[in-house]
Amino acid sequence: MLNWMISRIVLAAALSMLACFGRAAEPLKIGMAAPLTGPAAEVGRYQTQGAKLAAEEVNKAGGVLGRPIELVIEDSQSTNPGSVLAFSKLAGDKDIPAFIGPTFSTQIHATAPDIQRLGKPVMIGGTDPQLTHMGNPWLFRFRPNDTYSARVIADYGVKTLDKKKWAIVHSTDAFGTSGMKNLVEDLKGMGVEPALVQGYTNNSQDFTPVVLAVKQSGADVMATYMTLPPDLAIFARQLRQLGVNIAWVGSPTTVATDSLKLAGPALYGTYAVADFAADSSPAAKEFATKYEATYKSAPDYHGAWTYDAVHVLALAIDNAKSLEPQKIREAILSVKDYPGVEGTYNFDQNGDGLRGYNVVKNDNGKIAFIKHIDFSE
Amino acid sequence: MGIALQLLFTGLGIGSIYALVALGFVLIYRATNVVNFAQGDFAMLGAFSMVVLCIDLELPYWLGILITLVAMLVFGALFNLAVYYPLRNRGFQPVIISTIGASILLENGVLAGYGPRPQTLPSFFSFQGFSVGPIFFDSQYLLILGVTVVMVTLQYLFFERTLLGKKMQATSQDKEMASLLGIPVALMIMLTFIYSSALGGLAGILVAPILFVSVGMGSSIALKAFAASIIGGFGDVTGAIVGGLALGVVETFGAAYISVPYKDAFAFIVLVVFLLFRPQGLFGEKVAEKA
Repeated sequence: MLNWMISRIVLAAALSMLACFGRAAEPLKIGMAAPLTGPAAEVGRYQTQGAKLAAEEVNKAGGVLGRPIELVIEDSQSTNPGSVLAFSKLAGDKDIPAFIGPTFSTQIHATAPDIQRLGKPVMIGGTDPQLTHMGNPWLFRFRPNDTYSARVIADYGVKTLDKKKWAIVHSTDAFGTSGMKNLVEDLKGMGVEPALVQGYTNNSQDFTPVVLAVKQSGADVMATYMTLPPDLAIFARQLRQLGVNIAWVGSPTTVATDSLKLAGPALYGTYAVADFAADSSPAAKEFATKYEATYKSAPDYHGAWTYDAVHVLALAIDNAKSLEPQKIREAILSVKDYPGVEGTYNFDQNGDGLRGYNVVKNDNGKIAFIKHIDFSE
Repeated sequence: MGIALQLLFTGLGIGSIYALVALGFVLIYRATNVVNFAQGDFAMLGAFSMVVLCIDLELPYWLGILITLVAMLVFGALFNLAVYYPLRNRGFQPVIISTIGASILLENGVLAGYGPRPQTLPSFFSFQGFSVGPIFFDSQYLLILGVTVVMVTLQYLFFERTLLGKKMQATSQDKEMASLLGIPVALMIMLTFIYSSALGGLAGILVAPILFVSVGMGSSIALKAFAASIIGGFGDVTGAIVGGLALGVVETFGAAYISVPYKDAFAFIVLVVFLLFRPQGLFGEKVAEKA
């Protein structure tokens, strides 16, 4: 009996000592809201995998402030209300000093007021230029915003492809409309008035009217801001069926994995702007190799920006030597020339880290890197 | 002229997809006085079944289609037993909620099992279609139009010329009277579910190569099909077909000549106009409540 009691006491003491040691290296929690369910669940998979890969690397290199990073992931259900809910759950945890937010601009808009109220840094992947220009100091963007994608599309189409008669096809959602407006503006700056600007709503089952409008406009180059891969694929196929084969420079969706799979040959020969291209830099190449080795599938930009976000955040917290939001913010803004996989990060006072896009070409289903166009001064 | 004909062709093609799904709505409505909000998901199930059988298991198309249709027949019976039968004496509201619940369950079940990634099913033909002058005839659209015509003819013959069809009609018109005449009402309703399920599955098989296969594919078609069946006159088979085709043509022409972003609006404007001025639809009979 005594033996039993002694063993119990020893055990309890050992356990409490273990707990003490545990406290010494207590993990540093980083919150993350990602679409784990719903129509964008595939995006969520890329996002979390990219972030986890980065967290592992950071931890292997000794963690942040001597503590390992632990990602706390909440499901945004692919919707705006879901994103708000996920963020408020994460915000309730006082131990989380910073967050990885959504990829979708509309969900960031939905969460932005709560983020401002909480006053802690949130890394985002939405490309609506507005997001970092509405006086919210806590949003830090890890992808180049759409003013740059439009500038790169216009630059490449007018200067390199030497095309002057433009048709623009865009989704009428926030992303498509803002992209279209920027592009029209940039083309005007180059002395080009588009021959056609054609909107459509997401989830259209038939694009015949759009294709016929493009055909009739007599354009020799087409730019697209399409949001959903199935829309893009139906449009591409009907375009080819009705005999339209003009040059096409599209937004990043044009080279999204799903679009390539659904549209197949209908997208061969098209150009696109892409913020992540595996061949664009040594860092990108290394990331792509690691990602493929770990997850047995090629990465795309959803995984690339979260990977960069975790690394830059870890670096910033280490530099700040503090978990105070304002200190972390200043440390992120003073990140200069960080060689990320999406590009070289130089944060401006608005919280924009990148200012350039890659131009890529769909070469019979393979994505070939053509060049990087950057607008950093 | 060439453009108008091209629009007419695609309008009829997309319209016959609406018509096939609307047909399922109408049949179940006639039999049970309830709108089956899972009708679009029957199409989704049919399409996913084809992907599993013909892409993942690499079966030939004819076998895939056969297995899918048989599976949809069985599914229709199960759906009837699980979703409709237990609530059949509770009025129409509980049943409607039950079909909405079934729809959510089906979509999320497939999402959990197969993932959110849209899938492709190659066309049934090795050629995409052919051009006559400026008009391109998509082979898959031609097939859908053909199948719609065949299904409508068969359905007409079945309901008007066979005893079983007449029993099912009698059931839909007056359940009490039908059961007094010795017609097994519950069986008739189950047969209706079985047939509607197969019809939905068939629509899914046919549209899979055109619209791709995704969890939400059914509900986006079903919304238009629902509008089509109201325009045609809810509960009328001819109306569902005409309503579906008309809706397809109206939205395609509206998109081409007025505004593409408002394409969906045209369909629903037509719906609202009908609800206001001709709520019984094109072919529906004016229902007068008996005192």
